[in-house]
Amino acid sequence: MDPKMTEVTQMFARFKAAYARNDLDACVTLLSQLKVHLTKFPSLPPSFQQTPNAVEELKLARDIYEHAVVLSVKLEDQDAFERDFCQLKPYYMDTCGIIPPSAEEYPILGLNLLRLLVQNRIAEFHTELELLPVKALEHPCIKHAVELEQSFMEGAYNRVLSARQAVPHETYVYFMDLLAKTVRDEIAGCSEKGYDSLSVSDAKQMLMFSSDQDLHEYITEEHPEWEITNGAVFFQKAKESQPCKEIPSLQLINQTLSYARELERIV
Amino acid sequence: MPEDVQMNDSEPQPAAPAPAAAAPALSTLHHLKEIATVIEAGSLSKEVRRISRAFRLTVALRRRLAARDVSAFLAFALPASSEAYGRLTALVPKEDDTEMDVDAASPATQISIKHGLPEIEIFCYLLVLIFLIDQKKYDEAKACANVSIARLKNLNRRTVDVLASRLYFYYSYVYELTNSLAEIRGNLLALHRMATLHHDELGQETLLNLLLRNYLHYNLYDQAEKLRSKAPRFEAHSNQQFCRYLFYLGKIRTIQLEYTDAKESLLQAARKAPTTARGFRIQCNKWAIIVRLLLGEIPERTVFMQKGMKKALTPYFELTNAVRVGDLELFRAVADKFASTFSADRTRNLIVRLRHNVIRTGLRNISISYSRISLADIAKKLRLDSENPIADAESIVAKAIRDGAIDATIDHANGWMVSKETGDVYSTNEPQIAFNSRIAFCLNMHNEAVKAMRFPPNSHKEKESAEKRRERLQQEEELAKHMAEEDDDDF
Repeated sequence: MDPKMTEVTQMFARFKAAYARNDLDACVTLLSQLKVHLTKFPSLPPSFQQTPNAVEELKLARDIYEHAVVLSVKLEDQDAFERDFCQLKPYYMDTCGIIPPSAEEYPILGLNLLRLLVQNRIAEFHTELELLPVKALEHPCIKHAVELEQSFMEGAYNRVLSARQAVPHETYVYFMDLLAKTVRDEIAGCSEKGYDSLSVSDAKQMLMFSSDQDLHEYITEEHPEWEITNGAVFFQKAKESQPCKEIPSLQLINQTLSYARELERIV
Repeated sequence: MPEDVQMNDSEPQPAAPAPAAAAPALSTLHHLKEIATVIEAGSLSKEVRRISRAFRLTVALRRRLAARDVSAFLAFALPASSEAYGRLTALVPKEDDTEMDVDAASPATQISIKHGLPEIEIFCYLLVLIFLIDQKKYDEAKACANVSIARLKNLNRRTVDVLASRLYFYYSYVYELTNSLAEIRGNLLALHRMATLHHDELGQETLLNLLLRNYLHYNLYDQAEKLRSKAPRFEAHSNQQFCRYLFYLGKIRTIQLEYTDAKESLLQAARKAPTTARGFRIQCNKWAIIVRLLLGEIPERTVFMQKGMKKALTPYFELTNAVRVGDLELFRAVADKFASTFSADRTRNLIVRLRHNVIRTGLRNISISYSRISLADIAKKLRLDSENPIADAESIVAKAIRDGAIDATIDHANGWMVSKETGDVYSTNEPQIAFNSRIAFCLNMHNEAVKAMRFPPNSHKEKESAEKRRERLQQEEELAKHMAEEDDDDF
């Protein structure tokens, strides 16, 4: 093997050791060094030259990036995740013929889908989904993400929360926690419109708080317009339908003027 | 087509043989020679329209092309020593020279053309390429296409543009037929750059569409959108290219969840497409139906009953039925039954998204019919299968209320949903908004129609004879005097 390859492999071994003992700082420094070394290999994307070691180099590089992605989840750094995933993607998309598929491919793809869902980038979620072949949808990690998105869209939030218990992979836990927070906000929003009032215990259960104290804090922080009286939460219902609705005069004027202008144009 | 009306009187063909005249069955070779003369005339007088007309004539001949016709035409059109001749004749398969059609009228109509015109050369490439594709000889077609693209890169003449854009199209088509579209992506991008630099708008349009098609073939919606948003846009030169562009745009927008824009583009594409392009219109309609379902509106039955499309649209018809009824079981059954059709159309992921709409419609039906209904009953009616249907139903209903799909409140303690009275719609702003959108649409249509009207040039300048002109001048004088008098009177 080439001397550069051996050096990189050794550094990678040290990285894996540091990761195993949870020394995150060492991991980060080693990772940046590894990335610099990787730029010296011409067979990697975007140049994809054919060198004799191409297969080895591609496999190694892909391994490194996969670990980088998992590390960024541990560090709870979403931007790093996005960057590393962008670098990893060409390995999955374009190298299908050259190297055998990686075992971590589907879990990482599922992780990315989950991230997009949590950040509410639904359009990108669907675009990514289109890129996956049909058989990918059978894989539990991907299926998990897709079903989550469906439940989220439909509004069956309790299904989302119960899915948290059944994560297919331990790296998913971080995103599921974030998702739980988003779901809580959504439930609060829906409850506001849907219910006139809820008893405190019901509200606690729906918003998944463990104690009354948490519930009170949450309400005072996020929704100060809700009132808590007699052990029940009253949602804002003070805006009764206005008897005298205002006429949107500006809009009407604009519309009528545009009609007049267009009609004048008709010869 | 207006061009046809205009060109008929300036026909450059030497002795246009009347159909019933000397040779009853004019050979294809003769036609090809005529077309060559048209092209030559067009290139000499720099009129692009003649060349596009020539091409249309070729398309009419496509079916009757035989190998000997093509080789004879090549011998006629290209000087025997040129590279192009050598390459092209190598590609055309040799056939026995049986039954050469004799041009009975040929002595009188000796057609000859100037050799060495690049347009003729490109036309030959195009002809051979079309011939090879029709004969299903894809490898040779690929070789021919590669050679012609290489030749095109050296040319920069406006008159070649029309032929060049058709050549690009067939180039991409041949690669698509052999499933190797990814290889030419780089080439297409380079060609697009070249076309932009040469201000070749037709070429730009064609190449942009081909690139979009390339990306969408591999489901690379993200990259397609990036290209589309950055590429220069201008007035469409060709109706067919514009229709294609609208269709691809509609597809991209659908995947990106922008359903209103998608619906507009897809419906426009379906409307503008020529009636002969049935396959294209069927595809547009399929996607348009799904987008309308995703938007929550049910397409009318007449959409599915259009001529020639009934059979192809049957799966979508059943799907619409399931969504309209709001029945999840039926929806699941239909989706499974036609799964292969949907995968072939690549609409499978979109159908999955429809599940949410089915539930919404079901919920809307329930809320209109019941003033008060328990959540357990709702779960049963919607046939939500999950471990905890009541809690599911509750959150689904709450979300629907927040999104404004239904008008109701939930009573958690008693576990039921109470629908609100639907007030009088006419007392709100709804009718006015609906009217406004319709008025805007009609006015827009009117403006577009006015802009699209093309008058044949010189039609408004009648040939005024001398007397008429005198009369007119006299009238104008009188009028001027009259007006001058009036002014005096006022004083």
